[in-house]
Amino acid sequence: MITRRVQFEVMGRLVGPALMELDAYKTQRKRRKRTPKPGPFGPGLKSVDELKKIMTMIYLQGRYADGAVPVAWVTSGFPSEFLRMLGYYIIYPENHAALCGARHMTPKISEAAENQGYSMDLCSYARTDIGNVLKNNTPVGRLPKPDLIACCTNICQTVLYWYRALAAHLEVPLVLVDTPFMFGDNKEHHVQYVAEQLEECIATAEKVAGRKMDKSRMGHMMEMALQGSDLWGQCLEIARAKPSPWTGFDTFFHIAPIVSIRGTETCNRYYRGLKAELEQRVAQGVGGIKDERHRLLWDNLPIWFDIRNLATMFAERGFNFVCATYSNAWAEAGRLISPEDPILSAAKAYIYVYLNRDLNNRLRTMKELAGDYGVDGAVLHSDRSCKPYSVGQIDVKRRFAEDLGLKALVLEADHNDQRLYAREQAETRLHAFMESFGE
Amino acid sequence: MRRAYLTREKEAHGRTVMAVLPIAYPKEILTAMNILAVEVWGPPGLPASEEASRIQAYVCPVVRNAMAFLAPGVPGIDGVLFPHTCDSIQGLATVLPDLAGFPLPVANFVHPKGERRKSNETYLKQEFADLAAQLARITGKPLDPEALKGAIALHREIDRLRTSLMARRAFSPLPDREFWGVLRLGEYLWPEDYLGKLKELESGLASQAVQTGVPVMVTGIVPEPMGIYEAINAAGAFVAACDYAAIGRRVADPSAGTAPDPFDALVSRYFALPPCPTRTSLMGPRMDYLERLYAANRCRGLIVHTVKFCEPELFDLPHIRQRFARINAPVLTMEGELEPVLSGQATTRIEAFVEMTTSKRSNP
Repeated sequence: MITRRVQFEVMGRLVGPALMELDAYKTQRKRRKRTPKPGPFGPGLKSVDELKKIMTMIYLQGRYADGAVPVAWVTSGFPSEFLRMLGYYIIYPENHAALCGARHMTPKISEAAENQGYSMDLCSYARTDIGNVLKNNTPVGRLPKPDLIACCTNICQTVLYWYRALAAHLEVPLVLVDTPFMFGDNKEHHVQYVAEQLEECIATAEKVAGRKMDKSRMGHMMEMALQGSDLWGQCLEIARAKPSPWTGFDTFFHIAPIVSIRGTETCNRYYRGLKAELEQRVAQGVGGIKDERHRLLWDNLPIWFDIRNLATMFAERGFNFVCATYSNAWAEAGRLISPEDPILSAAKAYIYVYLNRDLNNRLRTMKELAGDYGVDGAVLHSDRSCKPYSVGQIDVKRRFAEDLGLKALVLEADHNDQRLYAREQAETRLHAFMESFGE
Repeated sequence: MRRAYLTREKEAHGRTVMAVLPIAYPKEILTAMNILAVEVWGPPGLPASEEASRIQAYVCPVVRNAMAFLAPGVPGIDGVLFPHTCDSIQGLATVLPDLAGFPLPVANFVHPKGERRKSNETYLKQEFADLAAQLARITGKPLDPEALKGAIALHREIDRLRTSLMARRAFSPLPDREFWGVLRLGEYLWPEDYLGKLKELESGLASQAVQTGVPVMVTGIVPEPMGIYEAINAAGAFVAACDYAAIGRRVADPSAGTAPDPFDALVSRYFALPPCPTRTSLMGPRMDYLERLYAANRCRGLIVHTVKFCEPELFDLPHIRQRFARINAPVLTMEGELEPVLSGQATTRIEAFVEMTTSKRSNP
């Protein structure tokens, strides 16, 4: 335990940062030698380097976390601030799965899960994650074994089916925050239920971690989470400028800190830096793409394995995704957090997330985004792996297009598994869509 | 026949008729409020209208068929109740009223997930009261607590009889389709009529086991097409234990539900249901339950009959296979899409499976 703790601290405080600096130096040198390729994008965001450092450190130090500190695997919608206060090292399997997807590794990794009987019709994040658990196949070296698995159903029910399976494979306790779906406004007993579960989760997490939570610090942690969420929202809003200083595809990557290290100074510092850079780009008239002629909205998760190709295809024809419901979701609900009443306000905030609300709200949000960001159309990714995001999209698309007089397209794909994606067919549809704008 | 029954129930007893999506809902409240629940398990077969295309083809056929069935409007139905079973039914519960122009009132029952805890007991009780209030807005009449107590007693009696019938399946000379078909009549019959049918079934039981085929267990969502039973019987087996969500998984332990407060009694009954992934009991207790059910009925094989794209079921499948492999029990996995008839290929697989279970018996 002591050796493990020393390894963990040394990696986090000395070796890790040194390796990051070395890597950054090498990257800079490569960049200086390389002649920039002409392309449809504006100059790259400098904040990417910092983002890379943060995310790499999470996984690098994570290799030494089990046995050193309590480790929790949590869903992206789980109120992880409370676990962080108990000293948990937190891993987000969804984030890890997305990383595998972006590196085209999902088919190989999820094969282990499929060979054990997990159907290909199941969520590709879940298959990637379970495949990694079964065969320890990951681009990040290794993930630390958890002491606790924490699940919140505000993004989908699938996470609970998936985490039940994980808890059985890993033989660790599962804590649950079950967030009743909101048809219309939330009901008082729904919020109260979530608040009571937070208390129950904290009690279990304390037991597993072997320490008591200092509740006097709760307000501060929630204040930090609130700031982070606000800063992320401000970064997104800068894309209202014309041209937008970044693209919706960029936001899919820069979302990582608000998901993974919400409630920390590292997270907030990162977004302050990103915000300043984006503001500077607006002042200088620098766009995310070179020639922004059309502005679009993206609905649903990214198609991680084809993101570069899609971004290029759109950018070459002057299309920029200036907003995305997925990125926006992380800025919305966090604003309900109140440091004065951490548990109850967290209950409200975590029940209030985009995917836990009815389609009237979804349509309203999309229309508001369209107005605020001045979009000309929308692409709705009909994601085989994400039923809660996708069911209803056909009607949402129709109403969005009819009510606003904008063009919209439903594109069938999958967020992580390229085997479930007909690329040629998708590109043909997207070309036809772009041609309808006169491009 | 079903439509004529509904019309008669409305006219003769002034009942409100509500279509109800699967799976878990407090039928006792509906009974107490004179609401006849007509469950919509698809319905099976091809989608009833083009409205199915409003839901993507990669979503489970129960939901797509329900959309096709309900969206154009169903004569005789006064409203729809959506239990919060899964993401897809949750999606349907908002598409239909919010964006598909569905004219009838809807009610939602957002049941809690996970193991029994203090928080979800309290919540469930409040959610039952909330559902009663939603239904009162539809029927125009509030829930009478005394009527609810009576309804709970009636449903406990139904569960007592269902439990007894399922435990004595081998004592009935009826083929599976008829036997389990009677158990499914509760999907649309008024509870007292249903109880009558169950009693008839009980009166036909022999004093000892009369089924001579290979006893097998089935698990899955719904036995559609019902031809699966005929194929099992034709292959020389019979369904001795049932864990279909539409049948076995909805029978609560009849000893639960005796609390003086009817809502407390309902909470006890909810948590006395067998484990089901749609209520997301933990994996271990569910596997233990399945193994116990299998052993108690001396089954010699397990048929896992899933509906395509059904996430709650599909996540459990590897765990079921693993657990049953450990006890050396053969498992057949079949996936269906609520097709109108069982395919020849599926029939052949059942035949081969039953043959394998018998050869295992003769060659231990």
